[in-house]
Amino acid sequence: MTDYLKQSRTNQRQKLLFVYGMIVLCMIGLAGRLLYLMVNRADYYGEKAKEVHQRQRTVKAARGIIYDRNGVEIASNKPVSTISVIHNQIEDPEKVIRVLSDLLELPEEKVRKRVEKVSSIEKIKSNVDKEISDQIRDMELAGVMVDEDYKRYYPYSEFASRVIGFTGADNQGIIGMEVAYDKYLQGQDGSILTMTTARGLEIDGKAEERVEPVAGTNLYSSLDVNIQTFAQQAAKKVMKAKKAKSVRIVMMNPQNGEIYAMVNVPEFDLNDPYTLNTSAGKNMSDKKKQEALNGMWRNACVSDTYEPGSTFKVITATSALEAGVVKLEDTFHCPGFKIVEDRRIRCHKTTGHGSETFVQGVQNSCNPVFMEVGARLGVDNMFRYLQQLGILSKTGIDVPGEASTIMHQKENVGAVELATMSFGQSFQLTPVRLLSSISMIINGGTQITPHFGVKLESSDGTAVKRLTYPVQENVISGQTSETMRMILESVVSEGSGKKAFVEGYQVGAKTGTSEKLPRRSNKYIASCMGFAPADNPVVAALVLIDEPQGIYYGGTIAAPVISELLDNALPYLGVERGEISTAEPG
Amino acid sequence: MAKAQNGRRKREHYYYQMDYMLLFMTVVIALFGILMIYSASSYTASTSRFSNPYRFVTRQAFGMLGGIFCMLFVARWDYRELYLKKFNIVYLIYVVCLILQTIVLIPGIGVEHNGARRWLKLGMEFQPSEFTKIGVILFVSYAVYLSRKRLDTFQGFLKVMVYIIPAIALIGKENLSTAIIVTVIAGGMCFVASKKKKYFIFCAIAAVGLALAYAMIGGGFRAGRIASWRDIENEPGGFQILQGLYAIASGGILGSGLGESMQKLGYIPEAYNDMIFAVICEELGIVGAVFVMIAFLVLLWRIVIIACNAPDIFGSMICVGVMIHIAIQVLFNIAVVTNTIPSTGVPLPLISYGGTACLIMMTELGLVLNVSARIKRK
Repeated sequence: MTDYLKQSRTNQRQKLLFVYGMIVLCMIGLAGRLLYLMVNRADYYGEKAKEVHQRQRTVKAARGIIYDRNGVEIASNKPVSTISVIHNQIEDPEKVIRVLSDLLELPEEKVRKRVEKVSSIEKIKSNVDKEISDQIRDMELAGVMVDEDYKRYYPYSEFASRVIGFTGADNQGIIGMEVAYDKYLQGQDGSILTMTTARGLEIDGKAEERVEPVAGTNLYSSLDVNIQTFAQQAAKKVMKAKKAKSVRIVMMNPQNGEIYAMVNVPEFDLNDPYTLNTSAGKNMSDKKKQEALNGMWRNACVSDTYEPGSTFKVITATSALEAGVVKLEDTFHCPGFKIVEDRRIRCHKTTGHGSETFVQGVQNSCNPVFMEVGARLGVDNMFRYLQQLGILSKTGIDVPGEASTIMHQKENVGAVELATMSFGQSFQLTPVRLLSSISMIINGGTQITPHFGVKLESSDGTAVKRLTYPVQENVISGQTSETMRMILESVVSEGSGKKAFVEGYQVGAKTGTSEKLPRRSNKYIASCMGFAPADNPVVAALVLIDEPQGIYYGGTIAAPVISELLDNALPYLGVERGEISTAEPG
Repeated sequence: MAKAQNGRRKREHYYYQMDYMLLFMTVVIALFGILMIYSASSYTASTSRFSNPYRFVTRQAFGMLGGIFCMLFVARWDYRELYLKKFNIVYLIYVVCLILQTIVLIPGIGVEHNGARRWLKLGMEFQPSEFTKIGVILFVSYAVYLSRKRLDTFQGFLKVMVYIIPAIALIGKENLSTAIIVTVIAGGMCFVASKKKKYFIFCAIAAVGLALAYAMIGGGFRAGRIASWRDIENEPGGFQILQGLYAIASGGILGSGLGESMQKLGYIPEAYNDMIFAVICEELGIVGAVFVMIAFLVLLWRIVIIACNAPDIFGSMICVGVMIHIAIQVLFNIAVVTNTIPSTGVPLPLISYGGTACLIMMTELGLVLNVSARIKRK
């Protein structure tokens, strides 16, 4: 028995040691597993853990500033704040509710609801002015957070609204230059990475990683605050006087395509782009309202086409001179109409202009003269020159939404269509397209691209990039250009554009009156194109008065606007006023 | 009787002393547990409805103090009185355990937490299965003491197990992991006591096979746990373990420093509980984690020494049972936390939060200390 006991005691010890050995082996195995996890997998899981722990707070980059040609800010940033409350840090809820509803001008129940809501962070109001948020910050209320931010701000509010455009909630451009130059203006948002607990509370004293934001690139535009402001006032004045629906003005440098002013009145307030600029905004369904907003945001100078009417005769005349199918002294006869095929197409002067030269025909804006010239050109030449003068293509202007010219198919053009085209009817183009082609005609024959963007400059001013645009020289001959300038000057001094006259300057102009479709609706667009000085133009302008009441002739109501605009712009642009002739011009 | 008198006479030449090294290791590990529970629980405790950062640590401290008291109390009287008396206390304890284990299953008496009915409320809530572990250890030890030869045959082994199986079945109804632990304790004790190896190896393989089959076929949440074990990053059920892995991996060599764990900030649910080893890894690094493992190995080694020198087979088997109990829980816990095996709720002995668990564990160690105090030392 004792033997057995002894023997089994030894056996039992061996077994026990065996068990302990197994335990040690398992422990070593687990230690190995730990080593693998903590060394080999550390980066992998560590990164994943960090993703879970870190909260990224975006620091908005300041959007690039848009300047006018003189360095005046026309789109800028304003410091604003977002006010939030952190529920479990609030010590005196009643005071917080009182102060916030007072200073932020919010109803008390609304603030109370947010303050009393159990959440990690609750936003009370964003886009709060700096003065107010500073007041709130100075009160040092526990649980109230003031986060600084930027808001896009337009110092001139209702100013070139469709051209400059505005930005949305995510700092992205919505229309105009804000869209066209969005990628430059945006900059790069920075971020603050903070460690948080699983409930999302930030942990004090844990390392904070910061990525500084990079401010957006500043844009220098060709707009001129003074010219634009004056043009807007002039447009408003004539719109009111003529009870017109809208007035459009484009003013540009015909030598290089820089646009000084682009007016679409009524303009809207860029600081409040979601409020309609007409009183019709009430009681609209959301869909209707969105449509109305889209309409309001539309840059009609670039996106809407119209029938140019007589102003287009500049193009026809240039084509004819360039093709050599007409000479200045060629004589024509206008009985007040011209029969084309089976149609009798009237001149605006129903009694007829009688016998006249080509130059007089332009001065008189005589339709039969241009029908004849058009017929001499023929369909092929007509289309060749339309192509050459850029009428059939887009201008490539640097704001979005440019519309194409709506033109007949060449093969469908018969004698009647050719005749109407010659004096600017039966097709449509955009104002900016017409003014660009006319600019080429009067600048010596260089095709230019109308544009607003001039140069980009990094926020610290170190890197500057000049923007270049396609230019094509000698599209028409210098001779033709000079002749056209001379003829158009005579339109002012002797012809239908008398009212575009500016004392002390030689002005070239062409007026136009187009009946809107459908015909006989008695809705017109009165227009006038003008430029000065006639021998070396520094500014070209186009005025469109949409649906004026009463007298609707371009020569009567649009030409005075051109006169006013040039009278203001020329001295401003440094063109000296010549001798003021006391006599009434011929 | 003569033997006992003989021993009493010789007491003049030998001295008897409990194993202070074991006592020391126990208290050190438990104090370390208190420290880690404070670190791991203060955030949860202060943000929860209790809003008292010391809630868990105070409760654990009371559990530990009670445990030390029980341990020293149990160590005082001679363990041999458990069976030397006319009235056999071992049987009594085991029967009481079986009764408690049955009562807890009755709806209305047993308290339910998280869908499992494992708790009884007598002043404070406790799990009878914790007591059952002691009951089983004592019962198997006594069975071995009564007839050691019995375990040399498979039938004898089965006879012992037949008495244990009711306890295992009652526990397994609500708590599979504890049932597995009890099975391993009983099987391991028999293995140590037996002269044979073969049938144990066969049984072990069969048990593992059965367990796997059960887990596969069982469906329900167990299949889910296996699925999340295999694809810890994508299975939704693996969230807690995955968060634990994040904690372990962020630890590195030296850890982020005591109190600096990120994962305890609500990412690991109940970080102070079964997952506490992950927080230890994150805060103290692989160095700290290995130190904890070594501390347990030292503790277990002391128990092995005591088992080898125990005055009789009953005491020796008690030590073996306690050792296997501690070892299996440590191994299971670390294996679960490191996603080495599918997750199952096993706390880390002496360290994880749980007042009764700590108290019972210390009582068991008190039994070992008791045995150690009966060793003749020169």
